[in-house]
Amino acid sequence: MLDQVRQFINQQIELTDEEFQILASKLHPVRFEKKTKIVDIGEVATNVYFVLNGITRRYFFRGRQEVITHLIKEGGLMGSVISFLTGDPSRYILETIEPVTALGISKNDMEELFLTDKKWEKFGRKIITSFFLDIERRTLDNIKYSTRERFVIFMKQNPDLVLRVPQKYLASFLGIQPETFSRLKHLMVKEK
Amino acid sequence: MNNAFTDIDPVYFEYAQKYIGRFMPITSEELFDLLQYCEIRRFDKRVVIVHEGEVDNYLNLVVKGLVRKYLSVGKNEVILQLATEGHVVQSEISYLTKTPSMVVLETLEPTILVSLTHNKMEEALDKLPKGERLGRLILTGMFIKKDENRYNRLLKTTRQRFFEYIEHHPHMLQRVPQKYLASYLQIKPETFSRLKALYAKGRK
Repeated sequence: MLDQVRQFINQQIELTDEEFQILASKLHPVRFEKKTKIVDIGEVATNVYFVLNGITRRYFFRGRQEVITHLIKEGGLMGSVISFLTGDPSRYILETIEPVTALGISKNDMEELFLTDKKWEKFGRKIITSFFLDIERRTLDNIKYSTRERFVIFMKQNPDLVLRVPQKYLASFLGIQPETFSRLKHLMVKEK
Repeated sequence: MNNAFTDIDPVYFEYAQKYIGRFMPITSEELFDLLQYCEIRRFDKRVVIVHEGEVDNYLNLVVKGLVRKYLSVGKNEVILQLATEGHVVQSEISYLTKTPSMVVLETLEPTILVSLTHNKMEEALDKLPKGERLGRLILTGMFIKKDENRYNRLLKTTRQRFFEYIEHHPHMLQRVPQKYLASYLQIKPETFSRLKALYAKGRK
C-alpha cells in the first residue's frame, strides 16, 4: 500500500527512508462506497487523497448540467484541491464512481510538514506543478485539437476508463455531446 | 555586485514587490536578493520571444509593454493571454518540463521584462532563506488562477466574459486590436463589435 505512494513520490522528489516514514505517519487510510460525495459544493475541503483503488469524478454544475473536470483513478491524487489550498468553499463536487480506498492527508498535517523542513516546501511545489501542468495541457489540447482528435487520443490513452466509467461521464469530461460520443465510438470500432 | 541589478529601477521593484506580495509578504531586502538572480530583457514591438517548438527558458514579469501568448490552430491563432505591466507571462509547460513550446510569445508594444531562467530559479529557491516557501506559494497562486480561468471559461456565457473583462481592463480596448481581444475572449469578431456597441451605450 505504501509502495504505491512511494513510487508516486519518487516521480516528484527524492526522499530518504526516514523522510518517507515521516510523511507516511501523516497518512490515514479511508474507504468510500460508490457514489459517495467526499466533498460537496460549499464545503471546505480539509483533506487530499492518494487513490489506492477505484475511481472518482470531480464536477460542477452549469445550470442543471454536470460538467466533469476530472476523472481520478488509482495512482492519482483526488480532492477539491483549490478549496483545500485556499480554505474557500468548494465549487466542485468530488464523488466516487466505484468504491474507493485511499490514503488521506489533512491540511493541518501538511502545513506542519512545511514548517519542519524546506524539503517539504519543495515537495509541495512539485505536486502543485503537476496539477498546474495537467490543467494547462488540457486547456491547450481543447483548443488545439478537434472533438474527434480528442476523442481518439483519450480512448487510446485510457482504455481502462472506457470500460469502467459510464459513457455520459466520459462525454462530459471530454466536453462532447453524449450522442456525438456514441457516434465516434461506433466509428472507432468500425475502423478496427 | 556584478550584474545589472545593483541599480534597480524603482518601477521594476514596485511591480515585482506587488506581484510577489500577493503570495507572501516580502521585505525590500529579500526582494533585492531575489532580483540578483534575474536579468532585464528589452524587446521592440512585434518581436517573437518564444517560437513554437522552441524550449522557453524564462519566467518573465512584464514591467513595461505588452506580450501576447497564442496557440496556432491550422491557419488561426487563439490568444491565451494578453500580459501587461505587473503580469507574469511564459510558455509554462515548456519552462517547467523543458520541452518544445506549443505556444508562441510575441510583444505587441516595446517591452521590458524582468526574467528568471529555470536554473537560476532553482538556485534562488534553494539558496534564499525563504526561497522554497516562496516557490511553492507562487506556483500555488498560478495554479489557482489557472483553475479559475478554466472554470470561468466552462461556466460563463460569451456576454458575461465580455463584460467582466472590459470592466476590469477598460484600457485594453485602446491598447490591443479588437480582433485580439475577441480571440482572447473566444468571441466571434462580429459578436465582439455588437457587445462593444452595447457597452458604449450603457456607459452614456
